[in-house]
Amino acid sequence: MTFFTVVVRGLTRRRMRTGLTLLGIAIGIAAVVALVGISHGFSQSWDAGMKARGTDVVVSNMSSSLIPKPFPASVRDRIAHLSHVDATCAILVDVMSIENAEMMMVSAREWDGFAWKNLKLISGRMPHDPAERAVVLGRIAADVLKKKVGDSIQIETAELSVVGIVDGNAWVENGSVILSLPLFQQITGNQGNINAIDIRVTPSTSAEDVGRLCEQINRLVPEGRAMLASENISNSEAYRMVKAMSWGTSLLAVLVGILGVMNTMLMNVFERTQEIGVLLALGWKRGRIISMVLWESALLGLLGGVVGVLIGAIGVQILGATPVIRGLLEPDISIGLLTTSVAIAVAVGVISGLYPAWRSSRLTPSQALQG
Amino acid sequence: MTTDLVTQHSSISPATLDTGTASPSGYLFEAVGLEKKFEDGQVQALRGVSLSVAHGEFVAITGPSGCGKTTLLRMLGALDRPTAGTLLYRGNSIPDLRDPSTYRAHEIGFIFQAFHLLPTFTALENVQIPMFESDRPISERRDRAIMLLKSVGLEHRLNHFPAKLSGGERQRVAIARSLANDPSVLLADEPTGNLDSENTRLILELIVRVHREQSMTLVLVTHDMSIAQRASRTIQMKDGRVVSDRSINDHRSIE
Repeated sequence: MTFFTVVVRGLTRRRMRTGLTLLGIAIGIAAVVALVGISHGFSQSWDAGMKARGTDVVVSNMSSSLIPKPFPASVRDRIAHLSHVDATCAILVDVMSIENAEMMMVSAREWDGFAWKNLKLISGRMPHDPAERAVVLGRIAADVLKKKVGDSIQIETAELSVVGIVDGNAWVENGSVILSLPLFQQITGNQGNINAIDIRVTPSTSAEDVGRLCEQINRLVPEGRAMLASENISNSEAYRMVKAMSWGTSLLAVLVGILGVMNTMLMNVFERTQEIGVLLALGWKRGRIISMVLWESALLGLLGGVVGVLIGAIGVQILGATPVIRGLLEPDISIGLLTTSVAIAVAVGVISGLYPAWRSSRLTPSQALQG
Repeated sequence: MTTDLVTQHSSISPATLDTGTASPSGYLFEAVGLEKKFEDGQVQALRGVSLSVAHGEFVAITGPSGCGKTTLLRMLGALDRPTAGTLLYRGNSIPDLRDPSTYRAHEIGFIFQAFHLLPTFTALENVQIPMFESDRPISERRDRAIMLLKSVGLEHRLNHFPAKLSGGERQRVAIARSLANDPSVLLADEPTGNLDSENTRLILELIVRVHREQSMTLVLVTHDMSIAQRASRTIQMKDGRVVSDRSINDHRSIE
């Protein structure tokens, strides 16, 4: 019989209570996995979309919301001639309720801009000209909206034709409704306005030069802020707020888990006062008893963590498949998030076990034997 | 039914006790003026108890409930501390031991009236519990536990949990457990108090056999005079004091 057997038996003596405590931790950890996975997934999906479009730098104003604020399209002309700028593409992006889909990304792009180039037609065709009242749908958007080539789609009050289904090589691209910039400006009453400029830098531009370009744009364009495409979303205040809320909610869930484990371990110690007295009488050192209590709570945390990670991962996949989330983001359940979550669970176990372990160490053998 | 209880007594750990195996006086235990007042101050369990126990003796401590015999036994086993007086084991002060757990693990084997087996462990596992504080490898601990359970006639109950054992069987497991680390002393607190007469006889015979075969010092607390008569020496207590101390060869009363 190993010490581990002793630890396991400590947990299996009250299976129902151990199971419920384990479930409590598991739910807390599942919340961590789900909330952080979704918020991180949003950032990852957005960054992947930028990468797929071949965007190196983005000029936008994302100070207070996930959808950037509009600014005059003429800003583009101030940027296009700068050195190291290979190409620009004016964008007007929004998240809208379209027919049955509560949230759908609508991405309007400057006609002939490079942001159209990554789109591969799966079926149908691209719009003939910027004035054609037509859209192409990313393949996930088509699936969510249940549209095929030839169907019509209503955006606000305008009825447009679905002329093509495309693959944009990124979750956000595939979840978008894509149309020409002038058409979307007209539909939304945003004539002359855009809310992002995608910039592709010339090949072999160094990171330092890209940095200098961003600084130069920021001096020239007070309406927006230039950032590396990979940092655009993670630097926005709105995303930071979402991330903070995710962690805040997760920490609350974890705190509930800590209290649950502490309660269980305290009950375990109180119920086993006499047993601890017997162990002391049989010569067990106090350190071994403290170690036993801590290992029990750590094991409870570990098991709760593993179950929580499973629940969280499955839950996120289910959430990701819902029409609200689908197309907007791909939940990011990375190995790093999973191992961090399990580590948090083990830490929850150990922290929760400290007080019960301390209580157990204060028992005198004679008092403990009396129960 | 049982096999010989072949064991080797442990040597005294230097980490526990500072000197050799015997006190200058030759006694294993020496108590002088032991007093015990419990924290609430209302109960004084021991009032100046003085006695000595030689190696290999079988001493029965008797007396009515509340006379302090269990308190005295627990002090001998370093489970409790006296509030006044001197208590020595092989010349070393028990209350001042640097590591009482090592003393309890290697020098003392406890047998309790309520058996105190751990309910979530099998008989075989219960006997292995004290061996966590020994240097024995895991496989050797298991082998030794099997040998000890065989020696108390429980080879057919190795994997039974305490709840599935009779009272007599539970106490036999407890006896096997008390021998796990080859202690020098067995301290038995009313070991037959929860047993019927047949099991009382069997358990008593087993304890006496252990004492004889291993020349082990046995201190047994009982209120049953018929059990006390099996001892080579009987110490009677009343109201926290020793009122008589008689041995088979010496029937003089100390008071």
